[in-house]
Amino acid sequence: MALRSTASVWGPVVQAFHWGMLLLLLTTIPIGYYMADLPLGPPKLKIYALHKSIGITLLALAAVRLLWRLGERRPAPSPMPGWQRVAAQTTHVLLYVLLFVVPLSGWLYNSAAGFPLQWFRLFNLPALTAANPALKVVAKQVHETGVAVLIALVVAHAVAALKHHFIDRDATLRSMLPLLRSRP
Amino acid sequence: MMGRRRCSGVTVAAAVATLWAAASAVAAPRFDVVPSQSSVTFVGSQQGEKFTGTIRSYDARIRFAADDLAGSSLDVTLQLASIDTNSPDRDQGIATADWFNVAEFPTATFRTVAIRSSPVGPVGEADLTIKGHVKHIPFPFTWKSGSAGATLDARVTLDRLDFGLGAGDWADDSVVAHKVEVVVHLTLVAAATAPAAKQRPKAANVP
Ligand code: HEM
Ligand code: HEM
Repeated sequence: MALRSTASVWGPVVQAFHWGMLLLLLTTIPIGYYMADLPLGPPKLKIYALHKSIGITLLALAAVRLLWRLGERRPAPSPMPGWQRVAAQTTHVLLYVLLFVVPLSGWLYNSAAGFPLQWFRLFNLPALTAANPALKVVAKQVHETGVAVLIALVVAHAVAALKHHFIDRDATLRSMLPLLRSRP
Repeated sequence: MMGRRRCSGVTVAAAVATLWAAASAVAAPRFDVVPSQSSVTFVGSQQGEKFTGTIRSYDARIRFAADDLAGSSLDVTLQLASIDTNSPDRDQGIATADWFNVAEFPTATFRTVAIRSSPVGPVGEADLTIKGHVKHIPFPFTWKSGSAGATLDARVTLDRLDFGLGAGDWADDSVVAHKVEVVVHLTLVAAATAPAAKQRPKAANVP
């Protein structure tokens, strides 16, 4: 029960998913942009494997996070204009959607390209489709656009959180921060 | 005296055997490949995942008779640009200098220098040449004769590093496994045209 969210703060499970996945995204997004231009060779394949392993981890976490979240209550939002509340909630929904679309499109692209998919050298995941050059192009496009939209939304989302904290001086950011939980 | 005579007797016998072998080499029946029912593939492993490469274009000269192994031979030239690993990206990678270096070594060749019999079937002693590296390999195969022709099946495991395939950085076994299994299935029909056994002397007789 201590794991659950309360009327004023997000529970530790929601917070762990929230900040843990942020860390993984901050790792794998730069890798994603960096890796494509490397010359073909084992270092490139290994760094792709790392990108994909973290990406698959994020996909699994997104699924568990969503399931957990569906059983959670939402802390009462700080007072704010109605449009802001709608915008915030729409952003959260879209972020969830992208947390699935981005890794799934990566997996699809990988499958359509006929690349192997090994999770941290431990086990291999099946291809979602047979090699398919046309689908490969589409999936890559979705992956790249999805990531760009994800980044834009996260930036807007984070800026909004900071605006609530530093300008509105409300409890929005604190509701997601572990250390400041006990503060009134 | 005795020794010398015996020795020359052996020499003559050997010479006769060689001649007979040479003569029968011409006599062993020739077969043509039915490409639509044949495949020359290899199974490699990349980052824990098996993949199959199909060599789509090759030229096989096959002579075989179970009772005339000395006159039998397998001689195959493989077009390496025709490798299809079900991933255009990987196919491109495979053609580069680190791997098959197809620009410089467009073909690989496989030639038996002898075929011997073994309890489990015929075994070719073959020279396999890839990327300028020649390796002598045993090539056990199954030969099944049918009414219209025959089938030849073989599986041989090779070490890609023996042929300089993916040396240097690529030698890492966890990225691309060293062991590669070559799987050959040939459906053969008796050569349709006049057998070479008749053609050759004729050609030789032409002044
Ligand atoms: C949430 C998870 C993921 C994020 C945030 C992410 C992010 C990225 C980014 C930023 C890029 C570079 C895009 C560009 O160049 O415009 C990229 C490329 C790529 N991603 Fe992901 N990715 C994720 C998951 C995955 C997964 C699960 C796979 C495969 C199973 C994957 C496979 C790839 C591949 C193969 C590329 C290279 C595209 C190319 O060759 O240019 N990604 N990813
Ligand atoms: C610097 C980065 C980030 C900051 C400062 C931040 C801040 C916050 C804050 C303060 C909340 C609580 C909002 C409320 O109670 O209405 C929140 C919730 C949320 N954030 Fe973030 N966030 C960041 C990154 C991310 C990222 C990368 C994602 C996902 C891709 C994300 C997804 C969510 C979601 C879905 C919620 C709703 C609660 C939940 O279901 O987990 N956030 N964030």
